[in-house]
Amino acid sequence: MDRRSFLIGASAAALAAKPVLAQDAFPSRPVTIVNAFPPGGVNDIVTRPLATLLEPILKQPVVVETKAGAAGQVGAQFVASAKPDGYTILSHNTGISGYAEVDKLFGRPAKTTRADFIPLARLVADPMLLLVNDQQPWKTLKEFIDHAKAHKDTLVFSSGGLYGASHLPLAYLEKVTGPLGLRHLPTNGGGPAITAILGNNAQVTTQSVSATLPHVKSGKLRPLATFGATRSKVLPDVPTLKELGHNVEYYLWVGMFAPKGTPVPIVTILRAAIDKAAHSDQFTTTLTNAGQELAYLDGPDFQKFWDIDGAKTDDAVKLIGRQG
Amino acid sequence: MESTLQSLWLGFSVALQPGMLWYAFVGCLVGTLVGVLPGIGPLSGISILLPITFGMNATQAVIMLAGIYYGSQYGGSTTAILMRIPGEASSVMTCIDGGAMAKKGRAGAALCIAAVGSFIAGTFGLVLLTVLAPPLASLALSFGPPEYTALLVLGLIFLAYMSSTSLMRTLLMACLGLMLGMIGIDNMTGHFRYSFDLPELGDGIGIVPVAVGLFGLGEILSTPSKNVTAEVISPKLRELLPNREEWRQSVMPIARGSVLGFIIGIIPGSAHIISSFLSYALEKKVSRRPEEFGKGAVAGVAGPESANNAASTGAFVPMLALGIPTGPITAVLIGALMVHGVAAGPQLISEHPQVFWGFVASMYVGNLMLLLLNLPLVGLFVTVLRIPYAYLYPLIIMFCIIGVYEVSHSIVDVWIMLIMGILGYGLRKFGFDPAPLVLGLVIAPIFEQSLRQSLIMSNGDYLIFLQRPIALGLVAVSVVLLAMSAISFVLHRKDWRAKLAEAEAGEPSA
Repeated sequence: MDRRSFLIGASAAALAAKPVLAQDAFPSRPVTIVNAFPPGGVNDIVTRPLATLLEPILKQPVVVETKAGAAGQVGAQFVASAKPDGYTILSHNTGISGYAEVDKLFGRPAKTTRADFIPLARLVADPMLLLVNDQQPWKTLKEFIDHAKAHKDTLVFSSGGLYGASHLPLAYLEKVTGPLGLRHLPTNGGGPAITAILGNNAQVTTQSVSATLPHVKSGKLRPLATFGATRSKVLPDVPTLKELGHNVEYYLWVGMFAPKGTPVPIVTILRAAIDKAAHSDQFTTTLTNAGQELAYLDGPDFQKFWDIDGAKTDDAVKLIGRQG
Repeated sequence: MESTLQSLWLGFSVALQPGMLWYAFVGCLVGTLVGVLPGIGPLSGISILLPITFGMNATQAVIMLAGIYYGSQYGGSTTAILMRIPGEASSVMTCIDGGAMAKKGRAGAALCIAAVGSFIAGTFGLVLLTVLAPPLASLALSFGPPEYTALLVLGLIFLAYMSSTSLMRTLLMACLGLMLGMIGIDNMTGHFRYSFDLPELGDGIGIVPVAVGLFGLGEILSTPSKNVTAEVISPKLRELLPNREEWRQSVMPIARGSVLGFIIGIIPGSAHIISSFLSYALEKKVSRRPEEFGKGAVAGVAGPESANNAASTGAFVPMLALGIPTGPITAVLIGALMVHGVAAGPQLISEHPQVFWGFVASMYVGNLMLLLLNLPLVGLFVTVLRIPYAYLYPLIIMFCIIGVYEVSHSIVDVWIMLIMGILGYGLRKFGFDPAPLVLGLVIAPIFEQSLRQSLIMSNGDYLIFLQRPIALGLVAVSVVLLAMSAISFVLHRKDWRAKLAEAEAGEPSA
C-alpha cells in the first residue's frame, strides 16, 4: 500500500468511525490491563475473559499484564504513575481502598491514595461469609459470638493478610459487636487462609462465597452469616448480618480503574467498552461458572459506592491499629 | 481397588481420545520449552495460555495446563546442567552437580538421568495419587504451621551439608541468605523491612533473580578470567548415555527422591525447591563418598530431579481431593476448572469423574510423552555446548535478563539479578559456594512466618512443637542429627568436612 492510498483509507476509516475526537481516535494501539494480583485469584478470573471480550469492541489487542506484589500495591502504584492516556488501566479489588490509611498508621508517606484513580466500572461484588470449620459446635452467629466473648484469646481467626480483604470484615463486625478477642493468624492469601481453617489450625475466617462454596457444600466449613445486603442465591439458608441485627456489609469487589488525569473522552470510551463487554452473555456465563455474579456499577455510580466503602475501610484500618 | 482400576479405565478411555492426546502433547511441549527457558516459569506459561482454554471443555483445559506444569519440571534441569542456570527455581540443586558433570563431559549422562529420574518419580507419584489421593489429602491438612516450622528446622540443619567447601564458609553463605530473606513486608505487623521505599521489595527478594544471577551470570562473568581453552566438550553418541556405573549410582537416589518429593509435594504451601534441596542433603548424608558432591556426583542430579517431579505430582493431591491449592500454580489450575464450571473440591471425584480420572490418566500418558520428547533432545541440547563462548555467553546473558524480567515484569528484579551476578563472581573468586545462600533465602521467610504463626496458635507457648505428633517426629530427627554431630565433635573424630577444610587451608583453592 502506498502512502496516498493509505491516507485515503485512513481518512475514510476516520469518517466512518464518526468524529469522536479531533486527534487520533482512541484506541490506536494495544491497551494494557495491569492486574495487581497473582494468577488464580478472583481478579485473574474476571480480568482475562473481560480482556478477550474487549478486543473486538475496542478493535485493538487488550493485554493482561500481571504486576503482583505487596498485596496489590505494586500494580496500583505502577498504574498510578503510568501516562494517563487510557492505554494502561488497572484491575484491582477491595484492597485498593486501604493503602493510604495503612501508610498513615505507620507514619509513611502514602504511595497511592484513592484520588489517584478514576473508577471505570465495578464488575463483581462477592459478599464475604463468616465461616467456622466442622469441628466447632456453634450453629448460629450468636452462639459463636457468645463463646468468643466468654473465652477471649482462645479462638484463632485466619486471614489472607493483615489489613487485607479477608481481615477487614472482622474489624467491621467487631465495630458493632464489640471486641471478640480472636487471635489473628495472617497468611499469604485467601487459599492458605482456607487451608488453615480446614486443618483446624484456625477456627474462624471470613472469605468470599465463591472461594469457599465447595467446602461449604461438602460440610467442611459452616457459614454463620453473610456480609451481603441480601441472602446469597447459592446459599439461601445463610442469614445476613443485617437480619441478625448487625448493620454491616462487606464485599470482595473487583473493578477497573484509569490513572488520574486520563482525558474525559477516553474515560467515556473505556466505560462504554467495558459496559458492553461486561453485559455480554459470554462474560456472565464465565462469571456464573466461577461462582460469581455480575454486580455492575458504571464509573460515576462506582465512584459514589467507593467513596462510602473506602471511608469504612479507613475506619476499619484505624480500629485494627498497629499490631506491633 | 477394583473400583479404582475401573475408574482408571474410564480415565484412559477419556485420555486416549485423539483430541485429548493432542492437548496433552501441546501442554508437555510448551512445558518443556517453558522449563528450558530460564525465568519463564510454569506460572506465567499457564496464565498466558489460560484464555486459549476458554473454548475447550474442562478436561481438555486441565490436561493441557497441567502438562505445562509437570513438563516444566522436566525441562528445568536442561539449562541447569548445561549452563549452570536454573531454568526453574526447583532446579537450583541440579546446577551444582549437573554443572560439574557437564564440565567433566558427562552432560549427556546427566540429562538422561534427569529425564529418566523425572519419569520414574512422576509415574510413582501418579500411582500414589491414583490409589491414595483422599486419605493422603487429609494427612496434608494436618500439616500446619508447627509442622512446617519443624520441617524447616530440619532444613536449616541440613544446610550444613549443602556445600562442597568448609563448614564455616557454608554457614557464612547461609546466614547471608537468611538475612536477605528478611527483606520485605512483615506479614504479622505490616512493617516494611529493608525495602528502601521500593514497593517491589515488599514481597522480598525473589528466588529466581538471585539464583539466575549467582549461578548463571556469576559463572559467565568469571569465565573470561579463567584460562578458557578451545577444548569444547563434544561427546560421541555412545558417550551421551549414562554408563552402567552411573545408572547403578542413580537407582537409589531416584527411589528416595521420589518418595521424599511426593511427601513434600502434598503439603500445602510447600515449595518444590525445598523437596529438591532436602533430597540433595539426604543423598549427601547417606552417601559413602560425600566429598564427591559438588564435583559431579550422579546422586546429586538423580535425587533432586526426581524429587521435584514427584513433588509436582504430589501437589495435585490436595488440589484434586480437597480443592486446596498447594501453591500459585495449582491455584491457577483450580481457577481454570472453575471457569469451565467445574468446582475443584471434595466432590470433584464424584461429580465429575471423567474430568478427574481423565486428568489422572492423561498424566500417565504425558509423562511417557515427556520422556520420549526429552531423551532424543539430549543430543541436540548437548551440541549447544559446542557454540563458541563468544557467541553463546552474550545469548545466555540476554536470556537471563529477559527471563528474570518476565517473572513479574519488574526492572527491580533485573537489577537484583545483575547485582547478584557480580556478587556471584566475587564469591567464586574467593571460593564460596552460592547454593547455601539461595537456600537461606528460600527458608528464611517461610520459617519466620510459620514460626510466628505457630506461636499465635499456641499463644506464645513453644511446647506446641512437641504436642503435635508430626512436628514432634521432625524435631526428634533434628535432635538426633545434632546429637550425632556433637558426639563426633566430642570424640574428635574428623569428618569429611573438617578434612576438606584442612586441605583447603593447606592449598588455597585454585
